[in-house]
Amino acid sequence: MSIVLKLWSLYVRGTNRWPVIATIVPFIPVVALWSIAANSGMFPRAFFPAPADVARTFVALTYKGILPDYLQDSLIRLLTGATIGVVLGIPLGLLIGSSKWAHRVCWPVLLFFQAIGDIAWLPILLIWFGFGLTTMTFVIVYTVLFPIVLNTVLGVESVHRDLARAAQSLGASRMRVLWEVTLPGALPNIITGLRNGLGYGWRALIAVEIIVGTSGIGFMMFDARRAGSTVEIILGMIVLGTLWYIVDAWILAPIERATGRRWGLVTS
Amino acid sequence: MKTLSLRNLQKTYFDPYAGSQVTAVHDVSLDVEQGEFVSVVGPSGCGKTTILNMVAGFIPYSGGEILLDGAAVKGPGPDRGVVFQSFALFPWKTVLENVGFGPKMRGVPKADRDRIAREYLELAGLSHAADRYPNELSGGMQQRVGVVRALANNPAVLLMDEPFASVDAQTRMTLQEELTRIWQERKPTVIFITHDVAEAVFLANRVVVLSKGRVLDQIKVDLPRPRVWDHLMQDETFKRLSAQVLQMVRSA
Amino acid sequence: MIASGQRTGSKTPGSGWVWRTMNSLAGAAVFVAPLLALVAIWAIVVPLFEVNPRIFPSVASVADAAADSIRDGSLIRHIGASLLRVGLGTLIGVVTAVPLGIAMGVSPAVSSFLTPLFRFFSVLAGIAWIPIATLWFGYGFGAIVFVIFNAVFFVVAYNTLLGVSTIPMTIRNAAASLGARRWALLTEVLLPGALPNIVTGVRTGLGFAWRGLIAAEMIATNVGLGYMLFVARDFYRTEVIVLGMIVIGLLWLLIDRLLLVPLERATIERWGLVRRT
Repeated sequence: MSIVLKLWSLYVRGTNRWPVIATIVPFIPVVALWSIAANSGMFPRAFFPAPADVARTFVALTYKGILPDYLQDSLIRLLTGATIGVVLGIPLGLLIGSSKWAHRVCWPVLLFFQAIGDIAWLPILLIWFGFGLTTMTFVIVYTVLFPIVLNTVLGVESVHRDLARAAQSLGASRMRVLWEVTLPGALPNIITGLRNGLGYGWRALIAVEIIVGTSGIGFMMFDARRAGSTVEIILGMIVLGTLWYIVDAWILAPIERATGRRWGLVTS
Repeated sequence: MKTLSLRNLQKTYFDPYAGSQVTAVHDVSLDVEQGEFVSVVGPSGCGKTTILNMVAGFIPYSGGEILLDGAAVKGPGPDRGVVFQSFALFPWKTVLENVGFGPKMRGVPKADRDRIAREYLELAGLSHAADRYPNELSGGMQQRVGVVRALANNPAVLLMDEPFASVDAQTRMTLQEELTRIWQERKPTVIFITHDVAEAVFLANRVVVLSKGRVLDQIKVDLPRPRVWDHLMQDETFKRLSAQVLQMVRSA
Repeated sequence: MIASGQRTGSKTPGSGWVWRTMNSLAGAAVFVAPLLALVAIWAIVVPLFEVNPRIFPSVASVADAAADSIRDGSLIRHIGASLLRVGLGTLIGVVTAVPLGIAMGVSPAVSSFLTPLFRFFSVLAGIAWIPIATLWFGYGFGAIVFVIFNAVFFVVAYNTLLGVSTIPMTIRNAAASLGARRWALLTEVLLPGALPNIVTGVRTGLGFAWRGLIAAEMIATNVGLGYMLFVARDFYRTEVIVLGMIVIGLLWLLIDRLLLVPLERATIERWGLVRRT
């Protein structure tokens, strides 16, 4: 057996046992290329730093405590916004989804306000609330809310009518049907909505931190931009990408798959 | 007159999970004559689909040879038409476009290939569905399209991989009868893979029983045609042949 | 089975055509009515409670602002600048991402290897590129188009990659056994097979791009809808801000409903590849 086959076998078995490897290995050649390009002197170093520079800055900023602090600020903002979005969004979605009239009245309004988009609210929010936490939270809630509401409505509508009828004929009250049938039935869609919402919310947070900017990863990046420090910008991007990748690929996507697959609501 | 010959065909592949070579097909030799209908039966894992995939050219073979009219087979090609268990119709093409795909690949002008496709659709009783998309058809109709799509390309051999396994029992019987009718009209050379013994006997001139990557035995089927389930169900010869094949498969 | 044959009834324009027009008009009316009701509430509430115009404008003042900005051409100029940036960035993004995504998706081994990379970069899509884009290209057109391009490129490439790799192997085999060579395989199988994912990718990417555009225009330029909003804030011109928000909302609705949704309907749903509302 050739050495190539042996290595391949090792890789396949390794990734099968630890899927993380399959996620990390593809980045090795990219970082290597990046390193070669940066060290070749094709671009000025200040414009295009090498991986080693970014790693050094990472260590330095972590040691000084700036990076952990900013990261914490960003995450708390996102989490607060997302929680409020979920608490408001799910009941609203259930209401709109289970009443034909509410649906008719609210759906166009929802689509329109979703179309305005979070960032476009910033100027008027700044007039209303000033540069502060309220403005940031409002934007995040706004961003997270729509995907959750729209997907909850879709979820409620996807629940088969016979399921609700079955529950009613087994003696469930309207509230019980909502709690025992509609909500679990819509859950896969709700989680998809949450996943999309957080994806948009994350980006909105960065924009808000750049514009409103007092602290946070977005602020760090834009502050670095003002100082012309590419290293910190790239570090910020890597932190953002990595963090979101972990949250999305290892937490949200598995939950989405688990609810959908387990119940056989999603095939493939 | 031989069309297709498999000589000491062999397939081994590397399984990265096990970290070792696995043999799927040990040593298979088989000759198929022009216009013959050969059924290949065997328990799952006997290598029948692997053989078909090698003949179709979808996967390479590791030993022996596959000759079509004397020339070695290399990669997939229009001389071997394939009918898939999963139908494999192009969802983004209408029924007419699906059937006309082979002629289109040969560079046949649109008007001519539409004419060819319509002719074949009529053969399968599908003229009314020409402008529909595959997902708008029932499973049975989809597989009818699958069969005539392969035929419309005038292949030297038609390879069928458990084509009726995913339709309901009623439809399956109809499709089997239609296939024997089409075969009698056109006399294509067919290799038909299945695990359904009755189906194998009903359709074929010859049944090949496969076991663990080897040919176990072969049986000639000289039942009269046209073959219709209503008659054959009670036919003593049919029953005897089916029982014989079944016993071989179960002992395999 | 006979009844469903009428679905291909494009040959009977007469009553069907009138019926369909009536239907879509009625649908549009039902859709617009709640929005008009919202405007009516706005028209009543603002004078009734004597809302300070520096907090929220009246309908009339927004209408005046609209008329003014149309008359002096500034609204058209801002819209034009924004649309040009989005259009150009999206065009470059799609044109480069689709071939690349298909090329990478052809081999299952290559595509599963590259998937995490593209996932990573599509996570960063859009706004996160603003700081570095403005540093590389300076404030202005180049930086903004780059941000849009980035938002679209990685999302579309990732989705194309995903789309190609989810085409069942049997369909590719079927095409090959019917005589399709490399080029035919590409145009007849891989491209249409990946189209549902490509369309989804464009829709998502454009969503990110649109937000990125507004954000970038607030930071990095002196023309465009985002800039119009942000400058109005300096002078507490809420009527201009609200006008801008409405324009942004309407434009996106138009792009989404008139361009992206019909594209999805015409292809994906007819083919039965994906069903969604």
